[in-house]
Amino acid sequence: MARAAVVGAGMTTFGVHDTPLQELFAAAALEALEDAGVETTDVEALYFGNAMGGQAENETHLGPTAASHVGLAGIPVQRYEDACATSANAFKNAVQAVDAGIHDVVLVGGVERCTPETGKDTAAMTRIFASASHRQYEQPAGLTFPGVFALLTKRHMHEYGTTEEQLAHVAVKNHGNGALNPRAHFGRETSVEEVLDSPVVADPFRLMDCCPFSDGASAVVVVADDLADSHDAPVDVAGVAQATGVVPIADKATPHVTQAARDAAAEAYEQAGARADAMDFAEVHDCFTGAEVLASEALGLVEDGRGGVAAADGRTARDGDVPINPSGGLKAKGHPIGATGTAQIVELAEHLRGEAGERQIADAERAVAHNLGGDAATTVVSVMEARP
Amino acid sequence: MSEGFTHDAWAEAVRDGRLLGATCRDCGATVGAPAAACPHCGARALAVRDLPTRGTVYTETTIEVPPAGVEERGYQVAVVDLGDTRVLGRLDDEAVTIGDDVVLAGFLDDDQGNPAPRFEAV
Repeated sequence: MARAAVVGAGMTTFGVHDTPLQELFAAAALEALEDAGVETTDVEALYFGNAMGGQAENETHLGPTAASHVGLAGIPVQRYEDACATSANAFKNAVQAVDAGIHDVVLVGGVERCTPETGKDTAAMTRIFASASHRQYEQPAGLTFPGVFALLTKRHMHEYGTTEEQLAHVAVKNHGNGALNPRAHFGRETSVEEVLDSPVVADPFRLMDCCPFSDGASAVVVVADDLADSHDAPVDVAGVAQATGVVPIADKATPHVTQAARDAAAEAYEQAGARADAMDFAEVHDCFTGAEVLASEALGLVEDGRGGVAAADGRTARDGDVPINPSGGLKAKGHPIGATGTAQIVELAEHLRGEAGERQIADAERAVAHNLGGDAATTVVSVMEARP
Repeated sequence: MSEGFTHDAWAEAVRDGRLLGATCRDCGATVGAPAAACPHCGARALAVRDLPTRGTVYTETTIEVPPAGVEERGYQVAVVDLGDTRVLGRLDDEAVTIGDDVVLAGFLDDDQGNPAPRFEAV
């Protein structure tokens, strides 16, 4: 028996949206409800994610605003903020509530606007993003988020010989996948040379190693296992788990192992009764190319130290033995913070339904999603399966 | 005792040219940032102590795109290995790499008066 099932999925394009947050959220939420064939009167709770509306748009207490806009006022609404793992944590709590019998039908989703076109400029957003690092022991040194993952990746390069060219292959692969995704922020391919020629942001990361600031929204409808078959295309949630790592970075035992991801993955795999080698593909949190390398190892998809080599050798391509980020990932699909977690669930559902179009992973029956927040100290791992 | 290991105590030490850490009396781990309990085992028996001010670079990056409020660019941020623990700090005009020896060399204040340790190559 699955813990719950996803029976509806919706998301906006990721890119630039000059649209108020509740309207952007509604575009994804109503699509998910229509996909599920669920009326708003059937929805028992809303699990809503938005990370930075307070800082970026002077908007807090967004739960009731979003709920009212889509006709869901009256039911319990909870809003999550866990940096970039915001809506995956909303999803985890939703699945737990359904699995525990508290609710039968819930809506989960997230929304964020991060682009300079619709909000603050790069320097201001860089500061807002840095608010997810430690206020007293990291921010005063001038650390940024590219810098956070640069610190982790540089040590990985030192330990294992991972190269900048291998990192560039992650970007090239994800841009290639994004070019096949009509909802991706970046719909064009790139090359290793172009990545290595782009300006340095925080070494070893160049501009083309970094995901963009994006606007967008995503949502899924989660129902109890015994209700799933009354919907057209249910996808099972076989496992979802979250773990927390030590902050700040300097106090982590071994920063580049991203221990929270390993702990969450072990628990999610155990719930699913499946091992890493049973995953037909993965959507992982590639906020920077190095983050995908670390995630591929933490999830057990490739051996420790081989994440960069696997990318360069094509093992993580759509036709490789461990396909990673067929959506284009955060790198090419885009990264509207609070929408990213449930957008990964949308991508898993589409492949497991066989509806992912040109980027479809052939015969995908089981997949894993990895969504992290901050310096990876919050990580949520979800395993989903095609319903037998 | 843990009551003494506050940000105020840590910051005062940094301004005084020292680094404060704490060793867990239960699991023996040493941390470089104040906490009310050991982040590794949860014990509240932390013994505050002075950390070495000289260490080696564990990892580092050079920030070329700074956040709003930081005027410079091209500065380094490093995690420095002090033996029993590590601490994050800032280096300016140094160009150190992993394994290089560095020593505490003052501090800088951010725009809200929070100090960050500053290191320089030995």
